[in-house]
Amino acid sequence: MSLQRTPWIIKYRPKSVDEVVDQEEAKSQFLTWIEAWLRGRLPEKRAALLYGPPGVGKTSLVEAVAHDYKLEVLELNASDYRRAEDIRKTVGVAAYRRSLTGRLMLILMDEVDGISAKGDAGGLEELLRIIPNTMNPVVLTANDPWKDQLRPLREFVLMIEFKNLSTGNVVSLLQRICDAEHVECDREALRYIAEKNMGDVRACVNDLEAVAEGYGRVTMDLARALVRGRDKSLDLWRTLNDVFYAKAGWMAKKAVSNSEEDYETLMAWLNDNIPNKYAEPEDAFRAWDALSRASLFLARAKSGSWDFLSYVFDLMGPGVAMARQVEQSPQRSRYQYPSKITLMAKLRDIRALRDSIAEKVSSRLHVSTSTFKEDVLPYLFIIFRQGDVNVAGGLVVGYNLTEGEVRYLAGARASDIIKAAEGIRRQLAKEAERAAAEAPRREAEEAEKKQAAKREGQVTLDKYFGGGLGQAGQPEKGRRARG
Amino acid sequence: MSSVIEELLWTEKYRPRSLKDIVNQKDIVERLQKFVAEKNMPHLLFAGPPGTGKTTAAHALAHDLYGEGYTQFMLELNASDERGIDTIREKVKEFARSRTPPDIPFKIVLLDEADNMTADAQQALRRLMELYSANTRFVLAANYPSKIIDPIQSRCAFFRFTPLNKEDVVSRLKYIADNEKVKYVEDALEAIYDISEGDMRKAINILQTAASLGKVDVDSVYKVVGMARPKDIKEMVETALKGNFTGARELLRKVMIEYGLSGEDVVRQIHRELFSNDINIPEELRVMIADYLGEVHYRIVEGSDDDIQLSAFLAWLAMMSKRLGASTA
Repeated sequence: MSLQRTPWIIKYRPKSVDEVVDQEEAKSQFLTWIEAWLRGRLPEKRAALLYGPPGVGKTSLVEAVAHDYKLEVLELNASDYRRAEDIRKTVGVAAYRRSLTGRLMLILMDEVDGISAKGDAGGLEELLRIIPNTMNPVVLTANDPWKDQLRPLREFVLMIEFKNLSTGNVVSLLQRICDAEHVECDREALRYIAEKNMGDVRACVNDLEAVAEGYGRVTMDLARALVRGRDKSLDLWRTLNDVFYAKAGWMAKKAVSNSEEDYETLMAWLNDNIPNKYAEPEDAFRAWDALSRASLFLARAKSGSWDFLSYVFDLMGPGVAMARQVEQSPQRSRYQYPSKITLMAKLRDIRALRDSIAEKVSSRLHVSTSTFKEDVLPYLFIIFRQGDVNVAGGLVVGYNLTEGEVRYLAGARASDIIKAAEGIRRQLAKEAERAAAEAPRREAEEAEKKQAAKREGQVTLDKYFGGGLGQAGQPEKGRRARG
Repeated sequence: MSSVIEELLWTEKYRPRSLKDIVNQKDIVERLQKFVAEKNMPHLLFAGPPGTGKTTAAHALAHDLYGEGYTQFMLELNASDERGIDTIREKVKEFARSRTPPDIPFKIVLLDEADNMTADAQQALRRLMELYSANTRFVLAANYPSKIIDPIQSRCAFFRFTPLNKEDVVSRLKYIADNEKVKYVEDALEAIYDISEGDMRKAINILQTAASLGKVDVDSVYKVVGMARPKDIKEMVETALKGNFTGARELLRKVMIEYGLSGEDVVRQIHRELFSNDINIPEELRVMIADYLGEVHYRIVEGSDDDIQLSAFLAWLAMMSKRLGASTA
């Protein structure tokens, strides 16, 4: 279990251009362009914009090309470098110089359509200034290149379209992965996964891994039950993956804001999986710090304004994702079901028991329930768990505690105490009977006793309970008689 | 006749019923007895630490005024448990309308832990006090009188309850122990006084718990005191400080499940332990922990998820311990 696992989506990423599935047209366009660079000629358009739906291989192609041609890649997380100044310092600097080895450096900027025109002041303009003069190939990717803010950019870049992959191609890719992983699979099921994800290979591989990981095989039934939209746990799995493996903050943000799961559940999952993903204490704390603030902002959003929700997303997505600074890559990828969720019901029951005990006893002691819980309950625990069984049993009768309440207080000793309490109840009932028979004589005795007590100026029990706190129809006398 | 019969908590069983049974706070008792004699009294504010007899004195006062069935002429509210000033208002309104005692022109509203009310709620309370002053008197009990707003303080006769002295506590414990036929050694009762610092409720609880373990001697008293503070909390903090986050979080879950503690309860208990000598925390960390813990507490009160906040807290401890280790190494 401590084995570090690489998610399949990374493990089976194409290693060379040949392995890039489909996309022949895009491939040849891109290769022609890059080969021009390699021959030392500056192409007319010094930047390429690879566009198309998610998961069709845009980034994969770039990485495969870099691998085959032994290019260095400078990969920029678009979300981190959006302001003009950031772009100048990174892209700008890299654009004008060759790498140490003299080779070309490929500058890759992912998902430029995520740059907002308003929020990221001047970022796009800066990019437009750099591109016509760059000495290194600049590659941009986008899902939707037709956005308004990208209009000026479109004129300066070579547009390369990536099409949706055909189902057949995706299925054979999935089949290859299953074979490599020795996972038994059903061709029908693979087809189903491919169709459901409409050619998004990343999503397909993630789905495949989720099903295979959970069940060791991929059948039609499992695929039907688990594939996105049908099963929330899969959506969760995907969201978690997108957060923990996010390359850029905005990706993590997108993951959490698109999730179908409610915020609390998502937080519980993140909360329980941070330790699996972050072994380094500094990183783990950074992640939790962000998550705990997310939770705080959620509370504020709920009680104040829903405007705060956007900070919740910022902190639980990018905040958790970008916590990794010490360690290189995430820990093993199996996710843990949040114990909080499984324990919630149990917790609710336990708290209900505690509250009902507090309710019963605190009014008799004239303290608030919270004072009871803090100042009295700890002693009850000791008496019930380690004290005399008969004393505990006596308290059960005295405060009319239920079996569940006794279990809460006594743990393993509950049945002994309940037995003791039953014995005491029987005895009390007997005495009550006898007392009823002797009532006239008893009353006289009683009166005399009260007098005596008054003379002594002491508090006696009978006097104390004169107000009728009696339980189980028990007469005043005999409430307490020891020895 | 019979041997062991049902038990009550001794704090309930031995609560003095009448003012004359109250063993301490002599001045206060005398002033209250004057009200009984005159059958008249102003609003009262009882202030003092826990377990010094504020609530008991209020009940005893009502008992002496109205006799055995006094509870029908007294409304007992606990500000910590009421859902807000509106429910308090409703209850007081209802109560003010109810039957008045035969020969005393007022009934009593006891509002316990009044200092837990917000300033706004206290303003509303002040108006209530005025509105029903014709036939009700308020007795407010509070740990910290400074948290009671001035307009209320100025309307009340002020009674300051002080921690009980050793003599009074020990003699009361002796009386109870004798009455319960419990074996004890004198030193143990003094130890109880030392631990409870004049808090009678705590003293009696310790006595009863020690007695339930068999005998009341110094050892059993300290054992009880030790057990009353869950070890798991201390262990949890220490485990986190050793860098073992997972172990610490398991303990956190355990206390929350086993004792049904809320996040706030856990925070309070950690806070209680923080500056004790029993817990192994590097000195330079204690204040920093208090600071962070306060933040955690605040966030939980604000409504955020306690499990997440406490996990973050434990992760912080684990990280801090590593930093310290690195800097000392």
